[in-house]
Amino acid sequence: MSATRTNPSANVDVAHALQRWHPIATQYDLEPRSLFRTKLLGHELVVWRADDGFVNVWENRCLHRGVRLSIGTNDGAELICRYHAWRYSNRTAGCTYIPAHPADSPARTITNKTFPVTNRYGLVWSSQDPQGQVPELSVLDGDTLGLRNLPVNAPVGLVLKHLATHTFLPSDVLAPGLDVVAELAAVEMSAEVSTYSATLRARLAGNESSAVFFVQPVDANRAVIRPVLGEAPFNTVAVLRHHAAVLADLVRDIERAAADIESRPALPSALEVPLELPTVAVAVGRSAPLRVSVRRKWAAAAGITAFELVSHAPDPLPTFQPGAHIDVHLPGGMVRQYSITNGPGETDCYRIAVKRDPASRGGSVALHDSVHQGDELQISEPRNSFPLRRNVSHTVLIAGGIGATPLIAMAKALHTNGLGFDLHCFVSQADQLAFRDQLAEFGDQLHEHVGLSPQETGEQLSVLLAEPSANKQVYACGPPPMLDAVRAVSSDQGWPADAVHFEYFKNTTELEQGSSFVLELARSGLTLDVPSGATVLEVLRENDVPIVSSCEQGACGTCAATVLEGDLLHQDVYLNPTERAAGHTILTCVSRATSNRLVLDL
Amino acid sequence: MIKLYDYVLSANCYKIRLLLSMLDVDYDSVLVDFYPGREHQTEQFRRDVNPLGHIPVIDDDGFVMRDAHAILIYLAARYDSTGQWYPVSDPRQLGETAQWLTFADGTTNTASAARLHVNMGYDFDIDAARAGAHELFRVADEHLWFRERQGESWLAPGDHPTIADLAVFPDVAMAEEGGVEMLDYPALARWIERFKQVPGFIVMPGVFPYGVS
Repeated sequence: MSATRTNPSANVDVAHALQRWHPIATQYDLEPRSLFRTKLLGHELVVWRADDGFVNVWENRCLHRGVRLSIGTNDGAELICRYHAWRYSNRTAGCTYIPAHPADSPARTITNKTFPVTNRYGLVWSSQDPQGQVPELSVLDGDTLGLRNLPVNAPVGLVLKHLATHTFLPSDVLAPGLDVVAELAAVEMSAEVSTYSATLRARLAGNESSAVFFVQPVDANRAVIRPVLGEAPFNTVAVLRHHAAVLADLVRDIERAAADIESRPALPSALEVPLELPTVAVAVGRSAPLRVSVRRKWAAAAGITAFELVSHAPDPLPTFQPGAHIDVHLPGGMVRQYSITNGPGETDCYRIAVKRDPASRGGSVALHDSVHQGDELQISEPRNSFPLRRNVSHTVLIAGGIGATPLIAMAKALHTNGLGFDLHCFVSQADQLAFRDQLAEFGDQLHEHVGLSPQETGEQLSVLLAEPSANKQVYACGPPPMLDAVRAVSSDQGWPADAVHFEYFKNTTELEQGSSFVLELARSGLTLDVPSGATVLEVLRENDVPIVSSCEQGACGTCAATVLEGDLLHQDVYLNPTERAAGHTILTCVSRATSNRLVLDL
Repeated sequence: MIKLYDYVLSANCYKIRLLLSMLDVDYDSVLVDFYPGREHQTEQFRRDVNPLGHIPVIDDDGFVMRDAHAILIYLAARYDSTGQWYPVSDPRQLGETAQWLTFADGTTNTASAARLHVNMGYDFDIDAARAGAHELFRVADEHLWFRERQGESWLAPGDHPTIADLAVFPDVAMAEEGGVEMLDYPALARWIERFKQVPGFIVMPGVFPYGVS
């Protein structure tokens, strides 16, 4: 059963129309940082160009309250809804931030409807379900000039019927004082008309000009003529004025004719109406559904290699937020987590940085030595357990060495959003600061602390954290001793625990796995045994209970579960002291029960 | 200090507030119960403030003036030392400024009338008002499109907006409140966004600020 509603009285073949590319904007409509609104086949679109040049074509409706996105703001990287300031990312159209929920990472399902886009002949083209390419028109192979568009209150068919007999003058004959009416009577026209465009050639006294008049079907009763001249004339303004004038006459004729025919009800939205809501696949375990290739591999600092990963699929890589990480699956079954360092809107790749650490378990060495430009990797979708709140006036970012990576993404977001921050990078040598070139844009908001001893680091932290405030937040990422120092100093200085956030990249806790207990799953109705030596996560997985995990050492927070009953032995480095004391959350990969019974909300 | 007989939802009063803000001139608003009280039509208001029974009216230290566009001319001439808002020194600029001021009377009679009809139940021929607004907007959109092609941004020539831009702005910015769909006027939409970036720009209910609010 088809769910498409069509209007049989409309003179366009809707099924055919949906599969074609249609022009929806001319390049001059897309000014930097602007939002352009148009309609295609009764469906309203917002079109905007990001600072990286990508043109976004989305349904013109916020997923939240249905407000037109076109009254929002294009900040060059994201489109911000006017109503509740939800942010939607360039290219993916995924929501990256909901101001009313500053501590949450928006679900990836909050993604706007996007439409395919392509650029040709100085026009932006889109389609609901494109089959094939934008029409090939040899007339427009060389130089072109986009003429002024004209909206017409008439159906496409009627517009094309009149375009077949449209007349204009070759560009070269246009001169001040010309008797345009007389010349138009003398000009020799030839026309080639198809369903959605008319190619016209004007010849007069040895001069010749050709133009293609594309017609955008707005709805059943409206169209926009988007003409493109097949040359770049020397007298641009005169040519633009001539075409605007003769086309305005034509539009008046068309609208008079349209008034004589019975007006049709406007096309209803021609989108397929889904009869069932789509189901969202639940990721389980350490899945790596994305195949990416290494577009670029380079030295981001001494001992640090950066990788730029791009998607294999035609679809863009999934939306990420500042603080998010991906799992990278390496040969030999190794899985490692790396933070995405991209700023808002930088959505054509993921950039990660890896510090070579020969003393580690081998992941960094494998990436440095065995992965090359052009190689393929399997990665997970981005996950964010280190979300950036943007409801305070100032943010302090404290990075130890390679721990700068998530904080660089945060600094870029704060910088783009115009929010105050300071990025403090602690490195043992100046040449170990990753992405120095990208950090330059932060100006005096970037602070380098080079070669400090542990004691000097502690003293410096006391200075940086000297003034606790309800209007500040602190984010720290780095080696465990340094994060422990940040925790101690911030606590001494009177910072509330929920204003200071940590991301550990490893958990050095000596794990205690000796206890055994009964695990009850309240939602699934299962009762399981967790024997000594096994983790809660392992028992869940053996019994096919879906749960997502990532680092599996108590650092990233991905495998957290809600505790309904039971006493806990926390062995992670993810929960803060308040969260630990509350006892509502367990990281199933490392922590366990000290009571005989543990009830989880799973 | 200037006294402005003012109503927050009036597009014509907003024009005066806008110019005073852009010129950084202090004033006191005397709030008039335009709707639903129709205070501006009362005997007392006609006798004490404006015999024609409309707003805005200003009282600048005893000098009383009515009619929004006339007030704009007075305020620009009196308080804009740069002479940019009402460019009397250049005949062509002045002429075009006056021409688009008259155009703003047209949008008041069409787009603004449609808005009053929808929002406050005024008894106008709504179809005629909307059709008239579309006719004017087509002309203005084409004018501004060609201005952009010539590297210009405003209704009158020159690199600074004039009181003509200011006078046309509110009716265009709020046209959709009156049911005049603006889909077909992208050059007007771009001009609206440019005008919102002029220093001193302020909003009124129905007009959004530029950028993230």
